[in-house]
Amino acid sequence: MFKYLKIAALSLGFLFPLTSTTMAAKYTLQVDGLACPFCAYGIEKQLNKTKGVTNIKININDGIITVTTAKGKTMSKAQAARIVKNAGFTLRGFKALN
Amino acid sequence: MKKTLLSVVVGLSAGFAGNFSAYAHGPLFSPGPETIFKGGTQITAGLQTSKSSGVGQKSRSYQLYLEAEYGLTSDWQVGIEIPYTWKKQNGFTANGLADIVIDSKYLFWKKDLPGAQYKAAALAKLKFPTGKNSTTPRLGSGSVDITGGLTAGYESRRWYWFASAAYRANTKGAGSLKKGDMQFLNVVGGIRPVLTEYSEPDTVLMLEMNWQRAGRDQQGGNKLANTGGWELFVSPLVWWTSGQVAIRGGVQIPVVSALKGNQASADYRAKLEFVYHF
Repeated sequence: MFKYLKIAALSLGFLFPLTSTTMAAKYTLQVDGLACPFCAYGIEKQLNKTKGVTNIKININDGIITVTTAKGKTMSKAQAARIVKNAGFTLRGFKALN
Repeated sequence: MKKTLLSVVVGLSAGFAGNFSAYAHGPLFSPGPETIFKGGTQITAGLQTSKSSGVGQKSRSYQLYLEAEYGLTSDWQVGIEIPYTWKKQNGFTANGLADIVIDSKYLFWKKDLPGAQYKAAALAKLKFPTGKNSTTPRLGSGSVDITGGLTAGYESRRWYWFASAAYRANTKGAGSLKKGDMQFLNVVGGIRPVLTEYSEPDTVLMLEMNWQRAGRDQQGGNKLANTGGWELFVSPLVWWTSGQVAIRGGVQIPVVSALKGNQASADYRAKLEFVYHF
């Protein structure tokens, strides 16, 4: 019985890949107003205060911030816009990568 | 009486150097429109020095100051500056706490573009008479002074420009002396020679033009001779940042001095600041 359950669970795993709520999620934030490395720290601080954020990569020249969240944690566009606004910038684009 | 007049003259000259706290890559000798992010704190430890001479007078001052700025929102910041001054004037020296200043800045307009920002802000400062004025030279004005101003600017990956105008209303201070109100006009240009990425050391060079005018001082309802006038400075400065740390420094060099009567005029002023924000 246990063997059949195990096979069924594995099959489901193949049929339905992990959703954003069961694996680390990645987002790109296109931010307007990012001009200097020193002032971009405000965004890092606001993101670090956000529960579930595990990794932040800031690319000043392209104005793109890549955010990774922990398993089971997601980020909405509204949440990203608020974080960016509190840092003194404007969110132009938001994209979930997986 | 002579001592009082000397204090007035040199005090006016030194008082021209209005301190304007800055966030991000703002100017050093004039206000910029930047405000710190919401919940952010910026601590600045600075050294300011000035030397003035003329009409048989010489004065030198060094001021250490500690500033703290806090972002109530990303558009509104409040701050405090606590200065400690050492002054030498015609052989007399004095040192101690100078006048404490509280300030606030509100960003009322902003336009964000890819890699650039346009901003405009209003600012206000209130100076309290915490510095001793019984010493020679005086360490404080003995008066409560209010400054209001407007500032706008553009910041991009490569270029910067700022412009500002401010007015300082001085009230009656020590010895019933009312120093003349002051006006400030500033324009600033800047460049980042090398575009760096986040957390990499970053350098920005700026050049300020600072025009400052003071009205005539008054005592007992009479306008005092040898007070008031205007000066124009050119001020090169450099910003260097790495992570959460910034070092900035610059020199104000007088290019035109139109002070009324016989007054000592500024030879130079210089500032060096260490900034940390978190």
